[in-house]
Amino acid sequence: MPPLIDESKCIRCGLCAEICPLGLFRFDKASGNPPEVAFPDECWHCNSCVLDCPKKAITLRVPLCQMLLHRDVRQLYDAGKE
Amino acid sequence: MLKITQFFETDVLVVGGGIAGLMAGIAARDQGADVIIAEKADTRRSGSGATGNDHFLCYIPEKHGDDPRLVLHEIADSMLGSNMDADIAMRFLNESFNVVKSWHEWGINMRLHDDWTFMGHAFPGRPRIFLKYDGHNQKAVLTREAKKRGARLLNHHPVLELIKDENGVAGALALDVSSPEPAFTLIRAKTVILATGSGNRLYPSTSTPGMLFNTGFCPGCTAAALALSWRIGARLVNMEIPFRHAGPRYFTRCGKATWIGMYRYPDGKPLGPFVTKATRELGDITGDVWNTSFTDLMCNGRGPAYMDCTQDAPEDLAFMREGMASEGLTSLIDYMDANSIDPGKHVVEFGQFEPFLIGRGVEIDINGQSTIPGLYAAGDVMGNFRADMGGAAVMGWISGKEVAAACANRSLISAERAESDAWLNERLAYYGSFYERKQGAGWKDANMALQQIMNDYAAVGPHRVRSGSLLSAGLEYLRQLREQAVAQLSTPCSHTLMRATEVLDLMDCGEAVIRAAMERKESRGLHQRADFTFTNPLLNNKFLEIWREDGAVRMNWRSKRQ
Ligand SMILES: Cc1cc2nc3c(=O)[nH]c(=O)nc-3n(C[C@H](O)[C@H](O)[C@H](O)COP(=O)(O)OP(=O)(O)OC[C@H]3O[C@@H](n4cnc5c(N)ncnc54)[C@H](O)[C@@H]3O)c2cc1C
Ligand code: SF4
Ligand code: SF4
Repeated sequence: MPPLIDESKCIRCGLCAEICPLGLFRFDKASGNPPEVAFPDECWHCNSCVLDCPKKAITLRVPLCQMLLHRDVRQLYDAGKE
Repeated sequence: MLKITQFFETDVLVVGGGIAGLMAGIAARDQGADVIIAEKADTRRSGSGATGNDHFLCYIPEKHGDDPRLVLHEIADSMLGSNMDADIAMRFLNESFNVVKSWHEWGINMRLHDDWTFMGHAFPGRPRIFLKYDGHNQKAVLTREAKKRGARLLNHHPVLELIKDENGVAGALALDVSSPEPAFTLIRAKTVILATGSGNRLYPSTSTPGMLFNTGFCPGCTAAALALSWRIGARLVNMEIPFRHAGPRYFTRCGKATWIGMYRYPDGKPLGPFVTKATRELGDITGDVWNTSFTDLMCNGRGPAYMDCTQDAPEDLAFMREGMASEGLTSLIDYMDANSIDPGKHVVEFGQFEPFLIGRGVEIDINGQSTIPGLYAAGDVMGNFRADMGGAAVMGWISGKEVAAACANRSLISAERAESDAWLNERLAYYGSFYERKQGAGWKDANMALQQIMNDYAAVGPHRVRSGSLLSAGLEYLRQLREQAVAQLSTPCSHTLMRATEVLDLMDCGEAVIRAAMERKESRGLHQRADFTFTNPLLNNKFLEIWREDGAVRMNWRSKRQ
């Protein structure tokens, strides 16, 4: 779920795991694996990991229930004319 | 049994390395005190200011004139004003410009367009009090400044408990969450500054009830300072007066003043009378003044309410996008880009968020000291003053200076005495039991149960009421929940143990809220009593203090300091 790590870009530096304000990742340098997203549903979607990753290997997937409710403005003004 | 594996001693222990905590650490080091900052996550990116902010409340004489009271009046009329002791506010104002100048020197851009520029959160024709700045790098800069001065940073160390002796506060117990296996750290300190930020996850998310972490402020901030203070008998204040922020739905995120646009009904009519066109200088302050508008419109069927930036000048739209990056809203920008949401073409629905604890909490004096000697508090945790980012930076700075001076007259508790402290050992066993219990309830169960109880029995307006019978039922259900949680919680690793302690902290805060709400036998703001529907003028200038003493809960009404 929320942060997705592109394993081909990740250099296993562990920075995302250090800085995440919610402590979502688990990182074991010795394993040679990228950090594991151990607690995905605790993501605040703050973007810290995305901003700090030196390889731009992380993207956020915002859950569907957090969709941003929006409308084309013409729907508003057309409603005003009715 | 889980053991203490690390021991530290220091003059000043700062709990929480957010904005207030880092500023406190910097100021105390500047005065020569020895400083440890214990932070739950990592100070480079933690707390509500993790990725940025863009409005800093302050008084700059060359812009506002010689009388800081002018700014004080604007605060009183703003959404920050209700819980304020004026003596603290005046000290804040008088020291704010120095902090602003330091930040600029350190490399946080406080002078957009090469001048002190005040924008947003303002009424037409009135003084503007929010300095517009670019805070995208604020946490990295403050961390660097704290380290440069020799403050010791203990990242990944949430503080779980305070200890005290006959002279006041004496230190703290922290949990080491840097590896999955939990361990404890004991920090003996002459003084402690609590700076753990706001209290989130006490009420269910209004927009997305199933989501514990979709909050306006940082969901890792769970009012630890309030709970720690409560458990060792410091006074809390204004706990019963609720506060709710507003902003976009369903992607909950504060920072509504960064949006340059008009609040509108679905037929395009403006919600408020203040401006006819939003500009970067003014924006539309309706959302601050008529804070409940978004809920009112849903309940009366005239909604939803929209934020409409489509009439902005193109330069203002570009400026807003830059402002969102300064404000730390890059995830929202990325999301909008990825989903082709264009504020120049689309209106975005706004709503009220769930209640949270900010500007109600630890009672402080003009130096930032709580009612326990040596124990200070700064930032969102303060109960009798609130100015968000500016408040955190400046009050952190003030408390850091004060605490360093206070150290001269305070001594360090001895290692033997601290380690054999009965309260400390009781709490070690208590927290350790959740880890040792191999099967049981998860922390999420407990958090959701708490949110249900708060939402049903200590409800927050508009259109929701509290009453004596509801509140006393809530108090009993909360007691039952706590009893069951303590008997059943099972946390297999350091991370889940930390989450469980957050929920237990929130339960203490919930209890203080409910008890204080029972005592406030009137309706005021979002505290709506079905059994006392009026606002009592005799309580206009009164604050309600609540604290624990000798195993009982005490309350006292005191006059607000003018
Ligand atoms: C998106 C957004 C935009 C905002 N924009 C503005 C703005 O423009 N202007 C404005 O005035 N305000 C703004 N705010 C509010 C502002 O960010 C906060 O008021 C400010 O960060 C408060 O500082 P603080 O130090 O009190 O708390 P925080 O900065 O939240 O720091 C608290 C710290 O304590 C740590 N912590 C928590 N519990 C513990 C524990 N038990 N032990 C150790 N550490 C702990 C946390 O990890 C965190 O690092 C905004 C908030 C958000 C979320
Ligand atoms: S910060 Fe980026 S490169 Fe480093 S471990 Fe995380 S994902 Fe990999
Ligand atoms: S977006 Fe923030 S909370 Fe989510 S994983 Fe990244 S750093 Fe952690």
